[in-house]
Amino acid sequence: MDFYDIFVAIENSPIGTWVRNSSHGLPLINAAHIIAVAMVFGTIFVVDLRLLGLQARNRAFTRVASDLLKWTWAGFALAVVTGLLLFAANATTFYSNTQFWFKMGALALAGINMFVFEFLTIRNVEEWDTDATPPVAARISGLLSIGLWCTVIVFGRWIGYTKGWNFSAPSEIDLDNLFFGAITAIQNFQIA
Amino acid sequence: MESFANWLSGTELSLLIQSTLWVIPAVQCVHIIAIGVLFGSVLMIDLRVLGAVSADQPVSAVNRRFAPWFWTALCVLAATGILLTIGEPRRELLSFSFWAKMSLIAIGVLVALAFQWHLRSSRARWEGVSPASGGTKTIAVGVIVVWLLVIVMGRLIAFDPQFWGSLSGLYTG
Repeated sequence: MDFYDIFVAIENSPIGTWVRNSSHGLPLINAAHIIAVAMVFGTIFVVDLRLLGLQARNRAFTRVASDLLKWTWAGFALAVVTGLLLFAANATTFYSNTQFWFKMGALALAGINMFVFEFLTIRNVEEWDTDATPPVAARISGLLSIGLWCTVIVFGRWIGYTKGWNFSAPSEIDLDNLFFGAITAIQNFQIA
Repeated sequence: MESFANWLSGTELSLLIQSTLWVIPAVQCVHIIAIGVLFGSVLMIDLRVLGAVSADQPVSAVNRRFAPWFWTALCVLAATGILLTIGEPRRELLSFSFWAKMSLIAIGVLVALAFQWHLRSSRARWEGVSPASGGTKTIAVGVIVVWLLVIVMGRLIAFDPQFWGSLSGLYTG
């Protein structure tokens, strides 16, 4: 069984089939995924702004983190569950969707950024916990986190325009290759 | 509404958005990021009223920290939302989810304004860290639910006729 066969098996599983064919389930799971995204980004953003020294400057970093990160994780758990359900519904489509893999890549990088922060940067947190502006390493972590999570959101949204769900995209556009499709469309337009 | 949507989709700005492929996805990305900021600030203020976060800080301090983000995100959402509506008038204006979402936003904004006014008029009450009353806590839960439903309705716009059937103005049977 190679890699692609696993995707086929997931798509054909009872749960994948159910999500794919449900008229109300898929939209609601999709909506829950957006709620999860809002929770993750809305809360991690506040922690990142504290790391950048832009928000809550007079409040200890560990306080801000302990207030917010549990909600980030709750949101992330919801995002994983709803994301897996959405993935199961159309696993083979995602397999051949470039934006999906870019999104997973950006997620992995956000994860690495978090591990570096949690295991290295935070080691001497007591030295800078109450500093209005944390050290450079912490600020870089915060900036990377905001950038990577925005990238995850952008690719996530982009999947919707490249996997053939979009009802409003003009029919002459190659949905699996939006960027190059757009360039071709512009070239055709200029030739015409 | 249908004639207005048709008129709007024929305007120059709408045609420009329709013919520039990346505008709608790009504006949607900004919209979703702003949803994150707005929902994050709603969570922090309302969870503080509930006593679930920052219990060592007065409600007024948490509000001062997050209310500007709420209003800024709301403005970004309104601006990007208007662009999306101009770009795809029929998809938005004829859908049931869109109007349900607008009604819920109206409620959310009115409650937010009332809350800000209340914080100002009874400042002393909220400068301390004593717990909020049961009624206030109920409102805080209600506010979180309203904004959750706003997000749900926003996402359901894309599935409107499929989800709502004949309730949707886009339903074709």
